[in-house]
Amino acid sequence: MTVRVADIAGCVRRVIAYAVLAAVTFVICFPLVWSVTTSLKPKSEIFAYPPTLLPQEPTLENYRALLQGRATYFQGGTAAVTQAAPSDYFVAWFINSVLVSVGTTLITITVSTLAAYSLTRFQFRGQRFVPYFSLIGYMVPSIIFVFPMFLVMVDLNLTDSLWSLVFGYVCITLPFCMWLMWAFFRGIPVEIEEAALVDGASRLQVFRQIVLPVAFPGIIAAAIFSLIVSWNDYLFGRVFMNSLENMPLTVGVMHFFEGTHVDWGLMMASSVLMTVPMAILFMLLQRHLVAGFGAGAVKG
Amino acid sequence: MTPSFRLSDRQVGLLFMAPFIVTALVFMAYPVFEALRMAFFSYNPLRPDDIRFVGLRNFEFILNDRLFWDSFYQATIWTLVSIVFQTVLGVGLAMLLNQSLAGISIFRGLLLFPYIVPTVVIALNWRWIFNPEIGVVNYALKSAGLISENIYWLSTPDMAMASTILLNVWKYTPFVIICVLARLQTIPLELYDAAKVDGAGAWRRFLDITLPHLQEVLVVVVVFRTIWTFNKFEEIYLLTRGGPGTSTFNLAVYSFEQSTANLRLGVGAATGAVMMALLLLGSIVYIRVSGFGREEKAL
Amino acid sequence: MTKKEAGRWTGIGRRDFLAGTAALAAGSAAFPAPAIAQAQRVARVWGEPGPYAGVFVQGMNEWAQKNAPGLRFEVETIPWDGVYVKLMTDLAARRPPALISVEHPIAFQLMAEGLLEPVDDVAQRVNAASRMVDGLKLEHYGNWKGTQFIMPAHHQGHLLLVQTDVIQELGLGDPNSWSWNELANAAKTVSEKKPGMAGITLALGRNLCTDYHFAALLHQAGGMTYDAQNKFEVAFDSPATVEALEFVKRLYAYMPKGAVEYSFLQVVDQHVTGKTAMSFYWGRTMGRAAEEAPAVFAKMEAFNHAKHPTTGRRSTWTDLQGWCIPKANNPYVKEVKEALVYVQNSVEWGVKYCHSLMPNVAPVYKDVAAAADMPSHPFFKTKPKSVETYFTGYVPNISSTANELLRGANPLAGICHGRSMWAQVVQRVLIENVAPAEAAKWGAKQFEEIRRENIRLVL
Repeated sequence: MTVRVADIAGCVRRVIAYAVLAAVTFVICFPLVWSVTTSLKPKSEIFAYPPTLLPQEPTLENYRALLQGRATYFQGGTAAVTQAAPSDYFVAWFINSVLVSVGTTLITITVSTLAAYSLTRFQFRGQRFVPYFSLIGYMVPSIIFVFPMFLVMVDLNLTDSLWSLVFGYVCITLPFCMWLMWAFFRGIPVEIEEAALVDGASRLQVFRQIVLPVAFPGIIAAAIFSLIVSWNDYLFGRVFMNSLENMPLTVGVMHFFEGTHVDWGLMMASSVLMTVPMAILFMLLQRHLVAGFGAGAVKG
Repeated sequence: MTPSFRLSDRQVGLLFMAPFIVTALVFMAYPVFEALRMAFFSYNPLRPDDIRFVGLRNFEFILNDRLFWDSFYQATIWTLVSIVFQTVLGVGLAMLLNQSLAGISIFRGLLLFPYIVPTVVIALNWRWIFNPEIGVVNYALKSAGLISENIYWLSTPDMAMASTILLNVWKYTPFVIICVLARLQTIPLELYDAAKVDGAGAWRRFLDITLPHLQEVLVVVVVFRTIWTFNKFEEIYLLTRGGPGTSTFNLAVYSFEQSTANLRLGVGAATGAVMMALLLLGSIVYIRVSGFGREEKAL
Repeated sequence: MTKKEAGRWTGIGRRDFLAGTAALAAGSAAFPAPAIAQAQRVARVWGEPGPYAGVFVQGMNEWAQKNAPGLRFEVETIPWDGVYVKLMTDLAARRPPALISVEHPIAFQLMAEGLLEPVDDVAQRVNAASRMVDGLKLEHYGNWKGTQFIMPAHHQGHLLLVQTDVIQELGLGDPNSWSWNELANAAKTVSEKKPGMAGITLALGRNLCTDYHFAALLHQAGGMTYDAQNKFEVAFDSPATVEALEFVKRLYAYMPKGAVEYSFLQVVDQHVTGKTAMSFYWGRTMGRAAEEAPAVFAKMEAFNHAKHPTTGRRSTWTDLQGWCIPKANNPYVKEVKEALVYVQNSVEWGVKYCHSLMPNVAPVYKDVAAAADMPSHPFFKTKPKSVETYFTGYVPNISSTANELLRGANPLAGICHGRSMWAQVVQRVLIENVAPAEAAKWGAKQFEEIRRENIRLVL
């Protein structure tokens, strides 16, 4: 008897848990589902009221336009098609964003791994200030230094160059990644390394062959973080970049707002294409992310 | 390899440290230093040839500017409400996700998802679905009979504030979930079993076991989220641009507007300096409560 | 203290500090440099959102191909709300565009700051002064203390766009004959009798568009912000301002509730989707409606604004937009001037420019307006009356914040627009329920502050 009551109670509990989870998941996913369905609608249907839940005549036209361009304006009279539409640049923006995020991540990971290793394995003066410095750097919002940093870029002659974005993003990601790697290295016992050193291996060999493999999960977590930050940023892109062809995706797609005309189809299709790479990465590496973030906290 | 080719440990240590130090000095310490310095200058970006030292005038300006105080107040409201919702929802959902249910890992993946969605994407999205006239949210609420009049999500000061808070909660609750979940997974299940034997109910078990274990991570999360939320720029700027009126301005938006639209880089920088001071205060709180820098702690 | 001294003050000049680290930064390059270097010389040209600047730049490129091999002009579209970020970053970076077309209040600000190259020579070579259409003068486009700094590009005023079928059905009379009262009554009647449709839509958010819409009403009431003929004294705290604010408040009752966050886009959206019977707008609404909403387009007509009951004015905020050339750090001044002369002397390019977004950008030169090709655009057949109003009919009502009631150029307007001052005053009344008289006082105080802070620009 009691067993069955417990069973039923467990069953009810499970049903409630699933119901709550399903409801929350719906709320969380709805905006993105709505982008996907909107992006598949033809222009006439996008503005239809009442809105249609699923596209009545699904079309890939918006995606095609992102790859091949689409004129924005009504034309007539003597004026032929005149200038490149913003959508002509979408592919360039995408490539820019990929270059910048990958570049940022490579630099951040290299610099932070080396530094964190150094911090946990060697003694030198001023060492204990580094974590504090990281902590502050980790908390400082980019709005505070974006303009001075822009002026630095001016002096380095890097404005409107993807390098300026890479350096900008390294500033945001480095403190946290440094911190994360620091936590990781401290968790790795030094005995193995010492044994290897006694056996005649050099520091670099030890670093490469013993330390890096163990720290790999931490590196993955730091890399995902760095990719997310540099892929998603808007402020630095807005301030540093000028030419249409050099913009990152986040700033570029704002050009689909044309003052009196918003191409919501393009907007939503690009939202989807902007989210997909991160989503795939996230799905693949989610385990490491939770483990890695368990070690520190995450910036957001 | 002969020992003579080897760098000493100290040299390797400095070599490994060097890239970090250089990057930190050039691209982090220096711009922040410049930002603080700029706060004492009158600096019209259109006229880089005409930059004047003005002492504390920029600070006087902001302290006498009603909009600065409004922004301060609004930032406080937006931060407090966001944090309360994020923490409560985050802990609740993390506990839900910590159960052993079939397919739980799929839910875990989906619930953490907003964290990786670019702010630009979600802000545009929200402007689209929360459009009062043709947006799907009002339509759905109307069809469900929950409302009879369209809700103007971004048009009244209160609603706009609520909408930006909603966006912030939507996007960053996963952060709390990730941190809390990682901690929850380390609580020994035996503790709960023992408590059950002692006849403790679910609520008692939460108070006596779960909460004490979470205390530390929650303090960290709350301090961090408070600092970041207080200084957020993109979420507000992209969704409402601080409007309607200036009802969703926070200090970051205020600083940006002063620097760009008003062409007063110095005033923007002075605002930044104030934000920086508040942030240092927050950091001290954090260092105190978390025992940061003490060797035995992993955080 | 100058910048140099500032550097000494802290002990380190930014340049000195960075000189040593620049090499390091560049040296850490471990992945292939992205495409930023270009062999071809590219001169950037700023235009506002829309295709017309692009057409003009095409014309400039036609010149470049013949006369300046290796040089290419490239248009950069600057979103209305992004002008200041672009301006400040590009000028601070000492890499200004070669040529700018931007709303004239902002251009006037640059002009008074001394950032622009004089264009008297260009004006002479295109014979601009004598070619101007009736009612407009070359000076209106940007003349400061006797020197011309801006070459005319187009003029665009916002008008009262009306869905005539709705007005007829409700028997509201001829919008041409309306004064403020009839306009408000028409809006009221529509909002009462037509469910789901607003009577009228204006932009009322904290943005440029609201500045423009409100300024039109302010000028209709005979009010001004600054008095350009009296040392730019602030004239905002006046009965005319209060009246205009009260009128906005009255109209707001018949607008969509969301209007308090509307800018350019949302006003057009409302009209094109048939959710409002009337709106204030420039010519773009018509172009977009033609493409997206033929039914709305069919019944749409543009009228001069309803006249103010006592002053009789129908003023409208008009952008007298021109081309200006940044002076410093601009390696293309010579080429740009040549290309400007080439395109502005060509009637053909003038017509193409206007046709690229009908009827939004009206021709400034008589020969362009009268060109044989001009009426080949379909709008001359489908909407002759509206086109006529946008092109010439409204010209007597031209006014703007940077040239209030055409009493003289006022560069302070650019700064005020940067801060959306007028919009802020309007929002005080609509959102914070401040009494119009008090809001006018508050506004006057802000304008006074801007004047004090920037007096060097005007006196």
